[in-house]
Amino acid sequence: MAMIFILLPLAVLTAGVFLALFIWAVRTGQFDDLETPPVRILNDDADRPLPTGDVETRETIVVSTRDC
Amino acid sequence: MSHADRLPAPAAPAAPAAAMSAACAHCGLDVPASEQRTHATQQFCCRGCAQVYQLLHDWGFDGYYRLLERQGGRGVPAKVSGRKYAELDDPALLKIHAEPCGHDRLRLRLYLEGVHCAACVWLVEELPRAVDGLASVRLNLATHVAEVEWAPSAISLSRIAHALDTIGYTPHLAQDDRLEAARRHNDRALLIKAGVAFAAAMNIMFIHLALYAGELNDISPEFARFFRLMSLGLSLPVMLFSAQPFFRTAWAGLRQRVPHIDLPVALALLGAFGYSAYATLLGHGPVYFDSLAGLVALLLGARYLQQRAQRLALERTSVLRHVAFAEFARRLDAEGLATEVAVTSLIPGDKVEVRSGELLPGDGIVLHGNSQLDQAVLTGEATPLPVGPGDWVVAGATNLGARLVVQIRAVGPNSRVGGLLRLVDEAMRGRAPMVQFTDRISKAFVWGVLGLATALGVGVLLGSGGDVGLALQQVVALLVVTCPCALGLATPVTFTSALARAARAGIFLKNPESLELTRQVDTLLLDKTGTLTEGKLRLVATQGMPKALDLALALEAESAHPIALAFRRAQRTPLGSVHRLEAIREHPGQGIEGLVDGVHVAVGNEALLRTVGVAPTAAHQGQAEIWSAQGLSPLFIAVAGQVVAQAALGDPLRTDAKAALKALTNAGLTLHIVSGDHPAVVARVARELGLTSDHAHGGMTPEAKRTFVADLKAARTQLPHTGKLMMVGDGVNDAAALALADVGVAMQGGSGASVAAADVVLTRPGLMPLVELWRGSHRVMNVIHRNLAFSLIYNLAGAGLTIAGLVGPILAAALMPLSSLTVILSSVLGRTFQTSAAASRTSGGRSWP
Repeated sequence: MAMIFILLPLAVLTAGVFLALFIWAVRTGQFDDLETPPVRILNDDADRPLPTGDVETRETIVVSTRDC
Repeated sequence: MSHADRLPAPAAPAAPAAAMSAACAHCGLDVPASEQRTHATQQFCCRGCAQVYQLLHDWGFDGYYRLLERQGGRGVPAKVSGRKYAELDDPALLKIHAEPCGHDRLRLRLYLEGVHCAACVWLVEELPRAVDGLASVRLNLATHVAEVEWAPSAISLSRIAHALDTIGYTPHLAQDDRLEAARRHNDRALLIKAGVAFAAAMNIMFIHLALYAGELNDISPEFARFFRLMSLGLSLPVMLFSAQPFFRTAWAGLRQRVPHIDLPVALALLGAFGYSAYATLLGHGPVYFDSLAGLVALLLGARYLQQRAQRLALERTSVLRHVAFAEFARRLDAEGLATEVAVTSLIPGDKVEVRSGELLPGDGIVLHGNSQLDQAVLTGEATPLPVGPGDWVVAGATNLGARLVVQIRAVGPNSRVGGLLRLVDEAMRGRAPMVQFTDRISKAFVWGVLGLATALGVGVLLGSGGDVGLALQQVVALLVVTCPCALGLATPVTFTSALARAARAGIFLKNPESLELTRQVDTLLLDKTGTLTEGKLRLVATQGMPKALDLALALEAESAHPIALAFRRAQRTPLGSVHRLEAIREHPGQGIEGLVDGVHVAVGNEALLRTVGVAPTAAHQGQAEIWSAQGLSPLFIAVAGQVVAQAALGDPLRTDAKAALKALTNAGLTLHIVSGDHPAVVARVARELGLTSDHAHGGMTPEAKRTFVADLKAARTQLPHTGKLMMVGDGVNDAAALALADVGVAMQGGSGASVAAADVVLTRPGLMPLVELWRGSHRVMNVIHRNLAFSLIYNLAGAGLTIAGLVGPILAAALMPLSSLTVILSSVLGRTFQTSAAASRTSGGRSWP
């Protein structure tokens, strides 16, 4: 039973490591937006076609002076 | 409009060609008959949609439509302004708003208008594939703010903004950055405190479980001592770090002699920790480390949730705020070339160009051009104001017609709008801070607990013959048991769930106190233009030959004039045949004429009839006068030199206005209409809504509206038992009244000033959300009262047991989570606001934001 004198501090130490990870996650803003990430994961569905890449199409941005 | 016909067919569902009703290939809305093209694979409701569709296809972003379909999302019509955003390249502006991140990288936050679903996130974040130099875009779906990172050496910010604009998201600089950064920082700090408290509480609870079990099984003293010391060590970060907010507010409350709800919490924490630490070091006596850590963790968790819900609501409304203000101006140089500059860099004397649909950037005098201005947000007048050279125009008005050249005379605070905003600021500063409901309760609570604790301590001392240890133990047990955990949880948890539900129902509450005030509202002041009505011109009455109306429609189909837009909105059926249009001439401020299939057609007001040389009959003139008296704008339709039909343009009531007002009247509210429009128009609207004429106040300037609210408030302080005053509006002219009223509600699509001044912002069209707000406030307060009753019962029971000497640490540890759980369940399950699915069925008015 004397093991408990080592195991308990060890357990608390492990908890401390996870707590430190949590604090790091909060500080880097990973909890700032809880709405977009769950949606973002769905967007992998958009069978990504290869980027067209050709410069010509990019230059043909149609600009209208009227909106709807 | 041609490229609809030559588009290839990407993955989007092909619309049935030239059917009676077709869905827009981009946004899925019905395509108006006038926009339907025969033999086209795709139909589009407007130019914006067609343009965006083409562009997304060219860029290989067809996945957007697949996502939209798969996720069951609904598109919104694309708005493409076609602006160059040159003002964003101003180095001074970049210095303020952009922050450097790494080598040759800048980061900046843009609010995107038009974001509506998950597919938007994909589209916006995929943009770097098509735009070289744009490193990354991260879009927040809750706030519609995108964080853009780019390489300034490769691409300018204006080109990025232009690219966003061309795919249908109008970018605006996200303002109030510093305030938001501070709020975000607070949020993170509180979350860390709560996290530390939760981690410590969980571990302490496990250790205490061993202690409680050990008490039954004769734990050996060295283990008991070790466990207690571990608990003490683990509760140190809770007391020294996590519990700081409680001590700070309790102390601040004491200094202002206002007993805050945190005072009994702080007392319980100090008492429990002090006694437990003393007992631990002494080696005997009960310890309460588990209760105190759990208390801190639960309260901080609830507070974090409330703060977060509130921050989201504030961020949403603060980004809505600047959309309605002019952000740029087209300044003309000596040669007459226009450059886009930020409004802030305009000085009096500058010449600016204002195109159709744009906002005037400052007060000034028209130099060239004839047009009509929509000043509804400034004056409340629904009818457009015709302007020409020499006329004085004001900032914030929308140019509805042709291009105007304006010489600026006053900008910013010196302009009319600036003056109105000053009024709003004054009213906002003059607001008394609201005493929260829980603070009032906590006053009685603090005195009750302190009195009980003293009485108990003295009683035990006398009863036990001076056993200080026992007396202290009993008093600490009482403080722990009566600690207002449930009381402290009840309000934040209820408000958090209510704020979230309200947001889903299209109601953004900037502060939870406005719910408490809304419940007490007995008088409702409503603006007319844009609030009771849609604030848009529509064809409300027609008379005469239907064939003539068809010809008028055909003529108006090609015009961007406000009257033409009203005609097109009214159009229900597709044109029978394609008309040949020739020799179209628009007469600014009068109307339009031209040849339709070779026949001369003119649509316009009386002045136009004079211009084209047609005389109306007495009957036609009589009808026009009747319409004018009702506040409508009469139009004549002349075919081949004779007036054959008439139409009236007006700003009709919202479809749900009658139902909403009826519900509010039935609930016992007194309604007043306060409008800047002509008294005759206001009286007509009041009659239509079943209000008596003494409740209709027309011709009110913004200052008069403010005074009206102030007088009404002053008169009510004289009377006993009166409720609160609510003002509902959408314009800059309502903003001061909104800020001054007990509760100000800004309508969906309202001006930036009204959004800034209001306590509640509606993001769903129509007036039904207002009814929902009123009903919701009652339900929320009911839930809060129910929770308070629960927690008081627990506290009283706990206090009774303690005084009877029955409460030890185990019972205290069990009672607290039990009471908290009851309250949390009661809050979360409480029906407060109808969520969007139910609300959208009942909402009316405009169909999209």
